[in-house]
Amino acid sequence: MATELGLAVRRKSATPTSSTSIRRDSIEVSKLVDIDLCIGCKACEIACKEWNDLEVEETHNFGGYQSHEDLTPDTWDLMRFNEVDLEDGGIAWLIRKDSCLHCEEPGCLLACPAPGAIVQYENGIVDFDQEKCIGCQYCIAGCPFDIPRFDTETKKVYKCTLCVDRVSNALEPACVKACPTGSIRFGTKEAMQEYGKEKVGKLQDRGFEDALLYDPEGVKGLHMMYVVPRGEMLEEYGLPKDPTVTSKLGFFPAMGALRKLGSGAMWAGLLGSALFFLRTGRRFPPPEEEAVAAARSKGSEAPGERTDAATRHDADDSLDPGSEGDGHA
Amino acid sequence: MLREHDPERDIVRYSLADRVAHWWVSLTFIYLLLSGLALGYPRMAWLYQILGGGQTVRFLHPWVGVAFTLGIFYMLFAWVRDMTFDPVDREWARSLGTYSKEGHVDLDVGRYNAGQKGYYWFAVLTGVLLLLTGIPIWIPSLLSSGWNQAARIIHHVLFLLTVGGFIIHVYMSTAMFPGTIRGMTTGRVERRWAAFHHPRWFRDRDARGTRLG
Ligand code: HEM
Ligand code: SF4
Repeated sequence: MATELGLAVRRKSATPTSSTSIRRDSIEVSKLVDIDLCIGCKACEIACKEWNDLEVEETHNFGGYQSHEDLTPDTWDLMRFNEVDLEDGGIAWLIRKDSCLHCEEPGCLLACPAPGAIVQYENGIVDFDQEKCIGCQYCIAGCPFDIPRFDTETKKVYKCTLCVDRVSNALEPACVKACPTGSIRFGTKEAMQEYGKEKVGKLQDRGFEDALLYDPEGVKGLHMMYVVPRGEMLEEYGLPKDPTVTSKLGFFPAMGALRKLGSGAMWAGLLGSALFFLRTGRRFPPPEEEAVAAARSKGSEAPGERTDAATRHDADDSLDPGSEGDGHA
Repeated sequence: MLREHDPERDIVRYSLADRVAHWWVSLTFIYLLLSGLALGYPRMAWLYQILGGGQTVRFLHPWVGVAFTLGIFYMLFAWVRDMTFDPVDREWARSLGTYSKEGHVDLDVGRYNAGQKGYYWFAVLTGVLLLLTGIPIWIPSLLSSGWNQAARIIHHVLFLLTVGGFIIHVYMSTAMFPGTIRGMTTGRVERRWAAFHHPRWFRDRDARGTRLG
């Protein structure tokens, strides 16, 4: 997709000077999935496939309502159905729409080494430009939510675009349009947060004390938030409790520091060698007679000391007069 | 390269196989260096363009890395006999300060001095570790994403270490010591060079009459 859309770009992968932000009126958008309203009908899954014209994959029954076991390069939106036994003997049926959460601080974008392969628009949407993707899959390791999927045929990575092509034409995302209960919502980030907070309050009134709006700080917030009625069961939903782009071994700060150190050290090495050369120049050996005489005298000084491996090896070679040592080219 | 020299009297230092292996290692290393810079440093991403594009780089870098490590293995086995440390090396290491100032220490050095031996073992060790940390980056499904990122960091640290070693190595074998590069190009070095830099090795070669001519 990328820049043909004419959207303002906040940043691009591997492009230190990518921001085109200058507009005053840039509005951040967001989706919101109100899990309380979701009936697990999978209309969004189908709508996603249809709008994005993605290949339909054969389903098989693996013991639940879920249509596929996992996201794939052709499945960007998957309803996950998790059944969890509760302590009181009951069962919690956790249904969650799994697709890209469009982090404000996207681990994929920060990890990507291909200029412009991942773009974050001013409105918050994080999109892949497959034409520029080199297939390294660093983004997969960089994603705190395990979203991007590598296609072995095209050797590129794919994920939800937040229907950036629709959004940039003032249409709501396909999944939002298809949702029959209004569980998936779309609007400005602000409006969605407002809705979310209000809804969380209502859920708490209804007895879901741990209800929460999932918009984690560690990734500086999301552009696809969840209202989670059972906030105490985030992990059972498949949502990390405290996702951060830095959680994995402090990867991004470490990498950034290494880069700075590395480029500094490489320049220092090059300039240092040049300076060293200017100061000390070339080191010519003395004339042949002198050098040879010195070498010979070293031999007579310590006649007993010639038993190291190098000499032994050379001596072995010299036993074979035909080979002329290991150096005969 | 040195003045007034007579190629007929040169001393043989490297066989054809040694030289092929060495240039194999250095050319693959240079490709790895440039493609690694493109992959690791966004400001060097222009290097993709001269290396055939990002996808080509992503495809080739690991394979060239394998080729590089194979060359390193050749060096390991072919040269190891001359690379074991001996008492002269200990003395040489103690005089490192003098060596870096004067470019020479007056010791009965054999085929390699302790610095060269050190570089050899450094190249072998980093070469193997670069391959080992490169494999999970090459095939990410082998490890969890946390380990993949750890591998990327270690790979990068090793890369920086080898670049440091590389700069010093190239500087010393070309700019600093005239006559050295001939050993790796023609396979032969001048008597003057050999007697000065590697006296013990020179005496041995001289006594055996391994001159060409
Ligand atoms: C274009 C770059 C390079 C140049 C100009 C170069 C030059 C040389 C020369 C002239 C020698 C012979 C030294 C002697 O006869 O005593 C040598 C040896 C050697 N080279 Fe290189 N080399 C290069 C790249 C590399 C690389 C990338 C590696 C490994 C990563 C490497 C590893 C070695 C080793 C282990 C030796 C034997 C020990 C030593 O002399 O330090 N070389 N090189
Ligand atoms: S796979 Fe593509 S999008 Fe992902 S990090 Fe690599 S180049 Fe970037």
